[in-house]
Amino acid sequence: MKADKKSGLNRRTFLRASTGVAAAGAGLALPGKVFAAGPRRLATLIDLSRCDGCPGKDIPACVGACKAINKEKIPEINEPIPEPWPRKTIEDWSKKREVFDRLTPYNFIYVHKAEIDEGGQKRTVFVPRRCMHCDNPACATICPFAANHKYENGAVVIDEDLCFGGAKCKTVCPWEIPQRQSGVGIYLHILPSLAGNGVMYKCDLCNDRLEAGKLPRCIEACPQQAMFIGDRKEIYARAEEQAKAIKGFIYGKKENGGTATLYVSPVAFAVLNETMRKQPGRPDMGPAARRMAETDKMGRAVLQAPLFGIVAGVAGAFMALSRRKDRVKGKGESRE
Amino acid sequence: MSDKIINDQGLVVRHDLVALVEHWAIALSGLLLLVTGVFELPMANRYYITSLPGLSWSGDFIKSMYIHYAAAVVFIAAAVFHLLYHGIRGEGGMVPRRGDLKESLVVMRSFFGKGKEPPFHKYLPEQRLAYGGMVFIIAMLILSGLVKTYKNLYAPDMFLTLVLWATWIHNVFFMLFVLAFAAHIGAILLRPNRPMTRGIFTGTVRLDYARRRHPLWIQEMEPESEPLDEVKTAPGSGDMAEKAEIREETEEAPPPAPVVISEKFPRRSNN
Repeated sequence: MKADKKSGLNRRTFLRASTGVAAAGAGLALPGKVFAAGPRRLATLIDLSRCDGCPGKDIPACVGACKAINKEKIPEINEPIPEPWPRKTIEDWSKKREVFDRLTPYNFIYVHKAEIDEGGQKRTVFVPRRCMHCDNPACATICPFAANHKYENGAVVIDEDLCFGGAKCKTVCPWEIPQRQSGVGIYLHILPSLAGNGVMYKCDLCNDRLEAGKLPRCIEACPQQAMFIGDRKEIYARAEEQAKAIKGFIYGKKENGGTATLYVSPVAFAVLNETMRKQPGRPDMGPAARRMAETDKMGRAVLQAPLFGIVAGVAGAFMALSRRKDRVKGKGESRE
Repeated sequence: MSDKIINDQGLVVRHDLVALVEHWAIALSGLLLLVTGVFELPMANRYYITSLPGLSWSGDFIKSMYIHYAAAVVFIAAAVFHLLYHGIRGEGGMVPRRGDLKESLVVMRSFFGKGKEPPFHKYLPEQRLAYGGMVFIIAMLILSGLVKTYKNLYAPDMFLTLVLWATWIHNVFFMLFVLAFAAHIGAILLRPNRPMTRGIFTGTVRLDYARRRHPLWIQEMEPESEPLDEVKTAPGSGDMAEKAEIREETEEAPPPAPVVISEKFPRRSNN
């Protein structure tokens, strides 16, 4: 809390932001404006100059706290797990629940240890990794069942009761964050061998706790106060200030079109990224373009399409009516 | 309406160029929407569709979405054009009428040899009903699709209830669209309906077929011809129909000379 006060983001500030007392006019963004900006919108800041990886602990505090709070999240696995057809991919982490050094359906945050060599000087940077809660997340917007949704407060949350585990969200995520557990979920009650393959799991920013006015568990548990949450604008400003103060760098501001998670690091992210090899459950920190941007122009044309039809339909009909009138007139004159 | 009898060719113009372009714009873009809609489900990779020649893109959700959007532009513009163009011109031949449901049951029974077909206007009663159903399905798909597109572009944090409604309406009506499409193709495959197929490719149907099965339509084009008030059934559902079907199977071009189908429907010169 002490650190929170130092950052200007104490509990009172946080609560005010999350409950929207000061909110007015929050809602859908208008075309051409920023995505869903509003006073209730939250963001998080992960200050890598503060994170020390929790030396002396078996598991970093944020990881342990997250694991503990989500322990009962995944229901009992349906054994044997139905074999999907025709591609027989089964992902079962139920017997490896203790894994904490990568993302799994049972582990929504892990801490990457980056060993840096800065001009012959060794340096270690610890990077907590979890869902970035993107501003316009394709994982949520193009989920075919609306099982994944971005809430107004910025949290991107998967509804495990609606998710079929098709892993589309993982495919379209630049960091491949969501992780699948087969043998659970709604697909078991429909066509388990032919459609669906479990449920996707990832960090939900402790959305239930946010709604109750509490902090996400990882932030609350961090002994170094390396993580912050608060009003998006304040967090963005705080990240700029901190980066300036340590002559550091920011990640998450522009990646995938912008996110609700900003990392501030004393080491360039390109350097950090060299220590990360993108592999299952272990995202990198490379440049991440928002691929859905490729479809935006055509999407705008879709929204304009009714107008095209209206203009063409009205013009076409009146031209045809006018031609018909001329024909009738012509016939009348020829009879005379 | 450009329906007219071309006596020297033994044909009747059933659809003008505008109607043909509308139909094929909606049909082809609808088919593309249907396919890319399926590819938006995580199925292409699982079912090895991505391994098929020319379909490696099917597993790329962003590419599929781009094509889905492109097809939607044509689909929506054509659908809106259709409603306005024909609505303003007062062309409502395909709009369901009172009694269509009852009459379509009679027609369907006749397909299975029970009873005789009534005389038809330009469209069969079940065509009008199917049209009404298809308009409703397409309207729901378009409305829900527009909400989803707006969300994708401008409001990813749209109110969840609205997102769920739009998504599930889109999914349910997608399935109904598939069923309606299958029924549409199934109807074409029914033997008595087959002569209408050429109409949607060429714009014309055979005059002898039209006289036999759509006498009320022919009468609209030949208002001076004998009224059909007393006619209870068209002469299309009996021996004459069989004869017509035999002609159809042999794929011979219709005789150019006027053909008298029935004494009830004397062939008139249009000249």
